[in-house]
Amino acid sequence: MKENPKNKLSTAQARQAWEETTVAKTVTRFPERRARFDTVSGEEIDRLYTPQPETESSYLDKLGFPGEYPFTRGVQPTMYRGRLWTMRQYAGFSTAEESNKRYRYLLEQGSTGLSVAFDLPTQIGYDSDDPMAEGEIGKVGVAISTVRGMEKLFDGIPLDKVSTSMTINSTASILLAMYIVTAEKQGVPPHKLTGTIQNDILKEYIARGTYRFPPNPSLRLISDTFAYCTKNVPRWNTISISGYHIREAGATAAQEIAFTLCDAICYVETAIKAGLHVDEFAPRLAFFFACHTDLFEEVAKFRAARRLYARIMKERFGAKDPKSMMLRFHTQTGGVTLTAQQPDNNVVRVAIQTLAAVLGGTQSLHTNSKDEALALPTEDSVLIALRTQQIMAHESGVTNTIDPLGGSYFVEQLTDQLEAEAEQYIKTIDDMGGMVTAIEQGYVQRQIEESAYRYGMSVEEKERIVVGVNQYQVGQEPEIETFTVPKQTASKQIENLRRTKAGRDRKKVDKALANIEAAARGDDNLMPPIIDAVRVCASTGEICQSLQEVFGEYKENFH
Amino acid sequence: MQTANSRARILIGKPGLDGHDRGAKYIVHILRDAGYEVIYTGIRRSPEQIVEAAIQEDVAAVGLSLLSGAHNELFKRVIDLLKARGASDILVFGGGIIPASDIPGLREMGISAVFTPGASAKEITATVDRLLSAPQGA
Amino acid sequence: MDGDIAGLVREISQNPAGSTRAAARLMSLLENHPTRIPEVHAEFANWPEPLMVLGITGPPGAGKSTLVDQLVESYRKRHPQRRLGVIAVDPSSPFTKGAVMGDRVRMMRHATDSNVFVRSLASRGHLGGLALGVKGVLRVMGLLQCQLVLIETVGVGQSEMEVAEFADLVAIILAPGQGDGIQLLKSGLMETGDVFVVNKGDREGASQLQSQLRATLNLRTSGRDSHNRSPICVTSALEGKGIAEFLDLLEEQHAKYGDEWIARRQQRFKQEIEQAVLEEAQRRLAETLRTAGIGQDGIAHILQGKTTVSELATRLLHLGAQDTSQHNEGTADERKSEE
Repeated sequence: MKENPKNKLSTAQARQAWEETTVAKTVTRFPERRARFDTVSGEEIDRLYTPQPETESSYLDKLGFPGEYPFTRGVQPTMYRGRLWTMRQYAGFSTAEESNKRYRYLLEQGSTGLSVAFDLPTQIGYDSDDPMAEGEIGKVGVAISTVRGMEKLFDGIPLDKVSTSMTINSTASILLAMYIVTAEKQGVPPHKLTGTIQNDILKEYIARGTYRFPPNPSLRLISDTFAYCTKNVPRWNTISISGYHIREAGATAAQEIAFTLCDAICYVETAIKAGLHVDEFAPRLAFFFACHTDLFEEVAKFRAARRLYARIMKERFGAKDPKSMMLRFHTQTGGVTLTAQQPDNNVVRVAIQTLAAVLGGTQSLHTNSKDEALALPTEDSVLIALRTQQIMAHESGVTNTIDPLGGSYFVEQLTDQLEAEAEQYIKTIDDMGGMVTAIEQGYVQRQIEESAYRYGMSVEEKERIVVGVNQYQVGQEPEIETFTVPKQTASKQIENLRRTKAGRDRKKVDKALANIEAAARGDDNLMPPIIDAVRVCASTGEICQSLQEVFGEYKENFH
Repeated sequence: MQTANSRARILIGKPGLDGHDRGAKYIVHILRDAGYEVIYTGIRRSPEQIVEAAIQEDVAAVGLSLLSGAHNELFKRVIDLLKARGASDILVFGGGIIPASDIPGLREMGISAVFTPGASAKEITATVDRLLSAPQGA
Repeated sequence: MDGDIAGLVREISQNPAGSTRAAARLMSLLENHPTRIPEVHAEFANWPEPLMVLGITGPPGAGKSTLVDQLVESYRKRHPQRRLGVIAVDPSSPFTKGAVMGDRVRMMRHATDSNVFVRSLASRGHLGGLALGVKGVLRVMGLLQCQLVLIETVGVGQSEMEVAEFADLVAIILAPGQGDGIQLLKSGLMETGDVFVVNKGDREGASQLQSQLRATLNLRTSGRDSHNRSPICVTSALEGKGIAEFLDLLEEQHAKYGDEWIARRQQRFKQEIEQAVLEEAQRRLAETLRTAGIGQDGIAHILQGKTTVSELATRLLHLGAQDTSQHNEGTADERKSEE
């Protein structure tokens, strides 16, 4: 670690400096939620706990203060004392109308952000009427083939008042264009929009599978969205660099950090190569991690990730703006940790995971519902998941101080350990020539496959106990009510789409698609022609077809 | 049925658009551990591609992994295609996110076994062993 | 059992385009009973032979699967009427005897092309790593009227030598950035290759690898075609570049050596049959030797100086000439006459 000028001060003095500058600056704009934070018994809790003179040594270098480099203890100076994390529940299924109803329900129940799930055909770029979409329409999320669908999705929801996160990758540019045009129709200009598009193609090749085009053209599309949004949609998070799916696919905590940061390094390099300056776009990079049930490992993981990222941005990319070095992230409790057996137990698992995410300093959180291993969640189980967050926020007291576990011998050592392990992986991938090469060689996929296999074997051999699955089983599993996608969904959606397509100006659509293809062959930013096409109702599938003409299609590799 | 020279061959495929392959890859490995020769098709395969590959590879069984909820439609397509090609002796088993209430329907359409989350490697290989050693039509 | 092979052969030869199932079945049969391969010829004097059998091998990570996929694509476009076969070989686990075969992943788009037949084989502990099953599958692919057969293996162990046995031409696929290029070039790969491909040709280090390769090949004095300046192709399989040139090269080679290849294959097949007969004979003799009676007694007598190796061998041959089903009776008679 580089010498911190604050080392000349004692921790106590540095602490005072932090209070008087960084914190003071924040609280004048965003005062803390209360004048005083008390435990339920009335004990006052400090904003932050720091080493006493006897335990000082490397505090300032390795931990520092919230909101200041290296951000180990948190990216904001007041964290949850200033503002709680965003409670953002991922949702969306069947038709735009049904999803719209679920969003309004969540907003009424206190959710503070929307998160849209799209069906697989939409995510991969097939319209609902495409043969490739058969059997998949509306199953894992909402089907959106044209801007009309997007309008229905947000009917009655003012886009200048909500923050929307869209889990969309290969087709992110297209769906973002639809969101912008929908807002336009509501009279909301793009510079007022807040939200995120996941837009993280690298992890698709590694762990999630909704890729469409090969890596290099996909990276070009991504840097086009960076450039466009930096200028026109400045409050939009243009990418959510994801470790969640990598972890779900079987990666260890250290691998989750490492592979996510390697993806980040690739994106930053791509944007810089495209002519952007790191401090122009880096402040809008956001991350997305999983949270599993090993409480202290998760907390250490988040802290290690923050510190490592800050160092990479500063030392490797020369970022100067502190905002470029902040690892802001959304967390989702780990889906793979939930069991189909005795689903009520999952409420307990999610509660522990919520605690870990909050102690780990997440900026936003989705909690899974208990029926996750069985089907899409019912309204009742979604409510429990949301309440879990609310109880944690208001009744547990863990939000009274920042980074409560900081200073724990265990957590600090585990943080250091995970950081070192992640660094090893990053070096290996650097030596291979970077993430794209590592993916093409199958290195990342193999690591994950092996970790998954090892974990599976450990459960098989009962080295690792999963309650209800390999121990504490019940003879007869209780029947639980699960959600089923209504059967008419597909036909309704196809019908709507046919009507929309029939009612368009075909000439305008064709011209717009031709413009997209031309831009794809050249160097022009693809966002403007995509937005123009979307405005005249060109469909997701049609736009992807035009892009595919130029970019080709990615083919999976194995071993 | 394994002998010194012959080993049973199984094909594992992911039909439809779902890209979560952790489960499928795990099944491939545990079946290999149990001595099977396992052909993996990768993700995003059509039922046509899976069936054609199964026939060319002369497998004894096909395992389908699906987490996106499209199992009723896509598993049925595979069964129907195998029948049309005169290959109904190739057994089909499935796994993934499949609600318990769908399982009877799947069994009826000809899926010999359905594995859901939490099924142990031992259970899975024991079931596959049993299915492959049973006389046809059992 | 006999009916199976003859029946399958007839079915396939009468309707090669529509007998995928029968062909696949026959391939399994022959893989599991390789000694029965000669039987397939009972119905068929003139066994159809592919124009070319191309071995594709090389170190892992060079992009072989992608190259094969692109080759299939281009070949199909160039010769839409022709069928081709792909044999993809993967190693069996020495512990469990099972295998993971994932070569199809890269070429699944051809699964529904009725003119492409892909078969995955596990090495099944065969010494060099190449599957015994290749022989039988090759035969059946000939019967299916496959004009081109690609055999893809990983170039580790001695499998590249084994590919040379089955293939008319062996293409070694290399790529830059695979660790020490020089080490690679010193390995046995150089002896076996007829054609060399530098894949990922647009990557850094590709032209260096090409030069090193050329230099090494120029020094080569032994090997299959050491008199022939082995051609080097440069491809970028992922981008589809260099594939047409590679196909051109293969066709040139075929024009020059095609007849030689067929003659060589037929000669090899005859040798295989001879080998198979000898192996079967040896198996039976060994069985006779092993069983109690003439075998154990005979060996004891040699040690006691009562008889010689040559005499015992003669007796064994005389006995072994009988069918195994009568073997037990023979031994009993011998025993009786010795008392």
